[in-house]
Amino acid sequence: MWKKISGLAIIGIIFCSLPYMVELYRMEVLIVLLFNLILAQSYRLVNTTGDWSLSHIVVMGVGAYSSALITKLLGWPFWLSLPVSGLVTAFIGFLIVFPLLRTIGFGFFIGSFALGEFVRLIWVKFRDPFGGPRGLINIPSAEIGPIDLYQPIPFYYFCLIIAAISIWIMYRIDRSHIGDTFKAIHTDPVLCETIGIRVPRYRAMAFVIGAFFAGIAGALMAHHQGAIDPHNFEATLMVYLIIYVVVGGIETFWGAALGVIVMTVIFEITRPLEEWRPLIAGCILILFLVVMPGGLDVLLPKTMKLFRKIPGIGQLFT
Amino acid sequence: MDVEQGTIVTLIGNNGAGKTTTLRAITGLNHPSSGEILFDGHNLNKLAPEKINRLGIAHVPEGRRVFPQMTVLENLEMGAYLRKDKNAIRQDIDMVFNHFPVLKERIKQLAGTMSGGQQQMVAMGRALMSAPKMIVMDEPSHGLAPIMCLEIARIIREINKKGTTIILVEQNAMLALSLADRAYVLDTGNVILEGDAKELKENDDVKKAYLGG
Amino acid sequence: MEVSTLIQTIANSLVQSSVYATLAIGLALGFGVMKMANFAHGEFYMLGAYVVFFLYTTWGLPYPLAVLAALPIIALVGMLTERLIFRPTKGNVLAGFMATAGLTFILQVLVGQAWGVGLMRAIETPYKGAWEVAGAFIGWQRLIIIPVAILMITALWYFLYHVKIGKALRACAQDPEVAALQGISINKITLTAMAIAGGYAGIAGALMAPIQPVTPYMGHDIIIICFIIVIVGGMESIAGAVLASFILGFIHTFMTTLYDSIVAIMAGVALMALILIVKPEGLLGKVKA
Repeated sequence: MWKKISGLAIIGIIFCSLPYMVELYRMEVLIVLLFNLILAQSYRLVNTTGDWSLSHIVVMGVGAYSSALITKLLGWPFWLSLPVSGLVTAFIGFLIVFPLLRTIGFGFFIGSFALGEFVRLIWVKFRDPFGGPRGLINIPSAEIGPIDLYQPIPFYYFCLIIAAISIWIMYRIDRSHIGDTFKAIHTDPVLCETIGIRVPRYRAMAFVIGAFFAGIAGALMAHHQGAIDPHNFEATLMVYLIIYVVVGGIETFWGAALGVIVMTVIFEITRPLEEWRPLIAGCILILFLVVMPGGLDVLLPKTMKLFRKIPGIGQLFT
Repeated sequence: MDVEQGTIVTLIGNNGAGKTTTLRAITGLNHPSSGEILFDGHNLNKLAPEKINRLGIAHVPEGRRVFPQMTVLENLEMGAYLRKDKNAIRQDIDMVFNHFPVLKERIKQLAGTMSGGQQQMVAMGRALMSAPKMIVMDEPSHGLAPIMCLEIARIIREINKKGTTIILVEQNAMLALSLADRAYVLDTGNVILEGDAKELKENDDVKKAYLGG
Repeated sequence: MEVSTLIQTIANSLVQSSVYATLAIGLALGFGVMKMANFAHGEFYMLGAYVVFFLYTTWGLPYPLAVLAALPIIALVGMLTERLIFRPTKGNVLAGFMATAGLTFILQVLVGQAWGVGLMRAIETPYKGAWEVAGAFIGWQRLIIIPVAILMITALWYFLYHVKIGKALRACAQDPEVAALQGISINKITLTAMAIAGGYAGIAGALMAPIQPVTPYMGHDIIIICFIIVIVGGMESIAGAVLASFILGFIHTFMTTLYDSIVAIMAGVALMALILIVKPEGLLGKVKA
């Protein structure tokens, strides 16, 4: 137990001190890293039932658009619009997943891809209120009461808190009875059906919970960027999200987060080769799927021995 | 376990005794973790199914498994996939129709729409089409009406008379033992009894366990 | 809608449907044999267009020859994809599919680096002029696509029902294990299926090259429609894919004429969602999507 706490504390300290360890212009990267952590973990939650949705980026976009519209048009404060956007996204997530519940495997991948595109096209199509292809601009920056979160460092800490809470909740879900049911569905949906588990209900539940947190990530992103447009949620970015999760591996809870961190580092190192980035990403994806289908997770038993030497952290990765 | 050329050898045993697994190992659908399978001096342990077919072993799988969306004729043609001799193939199709006249009437019918017994005939005909030296048959009588079982048994004997070695796996031990020359009794993966089929049929233990008294 | 517009739209629908069909049958074929979908199928289409750009516009080869050349070249790309991606990930539906998603990135970047990112390549049509029917003008360049597509579909049908390897391909799609027992090499069959799928996608791209702006990203817009078609038609069903191509081709073209291309895609997705709810195995399919 104390090992776990100390492990968490070390990670917490690292994340808290990161802003003082990097140059200011890298703050942007750190903030995006936090969005991606929430996003990838929420995606992983959906994946635990075996449903690899290809609409998750669009689902995040729903959160971004909701929070932008809620604060812009309704004038609600940011602290209220953040959770409300999560709920709105969860609801839209339900609408997306509903027609897909009778499908498995490819039907689900492709169907979710197409339905995600449908939602995205709504934003392109309707100028009012979504702003059409140019999207929304002048989204109010985040502030809570008197605290202005416009500056990168306060915003980073705010996102860190939200990410910590979100990931903690997802962790609790993963370890709960519900999380076990999700995994059981992945292993053998037919068996689950025969022992009385309502498979469609749980698949929908995973998708909706995942959508909620993706929506939170989207809302944070919208207020951070100040402007969003349909291009921010294209299928290309969906592939990047898949890469995070594949690289990290989905066997353990922390795989997705690990993937985000590793890939962010790789992208930072290869920044001079920006136009080759998709190629690098594509190669990494293929390499992992073909050579190391379990992701970095599989390497963990080996790396764990190393980690165990550092008090606490090894415990975390079990 | 030994299978002599030109004989019918049967494997009997309860569910889970390893009969199907044995057959699947022979034709390369499973790879054995230990032991050796030799056929005509070739080691079959690591060969892929399509290579084993080339050596002259055909497999009539459990549950028939015809190609449902293909016609009877196409199913038979698939059996002869590796053969190039068109005339001989045509003769063999006639030979199959001699064994199973009902198939000739239904030559254009999709195999998936046929009755169980007819599908079994298609599966057996398909195996014959590769002109095999040996056929392994997995539960050919399973799920068929008694009269159909007898029909299938008659044809198995016919095929064997023409010189094809047969390994037969059967739930219906009575049927299997009356067809076979030799028999092996399997239990949870091990051979517990072996011998002449006629003798085993009279064996008290076998009677009690597999022949219903 | 005026008569001339109606005729024009119907003609355009037929052309569009033909292109969809040549693409969708390749996807359905691959799905039948490997139970895998190729995300990079749209990029094969894009590569086909670049073959024409390279051989016809740059090298000055006759246009029909350039189109024909797309068949073996992209078939080879298809075979490489099978060998390097699908075969090693066999049995893991998800991995193969996701890996080809990575392949789309690789092909887009490579083509972009070779011929310019986002640069639109205008390819001059070799068949100028149009056929005038009741006030509608249908360009020859578009019109030739229809007979070519019919020829390709017929050829595939002949191959699947009258050629030994084609029949073996169907056998593999129906029961790969038993097919292997007949001496059919599954690897050779999947290689064949991917070669056909690639070659057909290549020809489709080559035919569309003078009509559509050629960019490294042109495959992206069409793949989503192809996926919808395959779902609507019934994953493994080739006939279903052709039928659905025509349904989607007409819906798409009419919606684009009446409203715009965004509404057109949305209508396609809506149809797909409806099919998934009402009949998840698709119009002519046997397997649940």
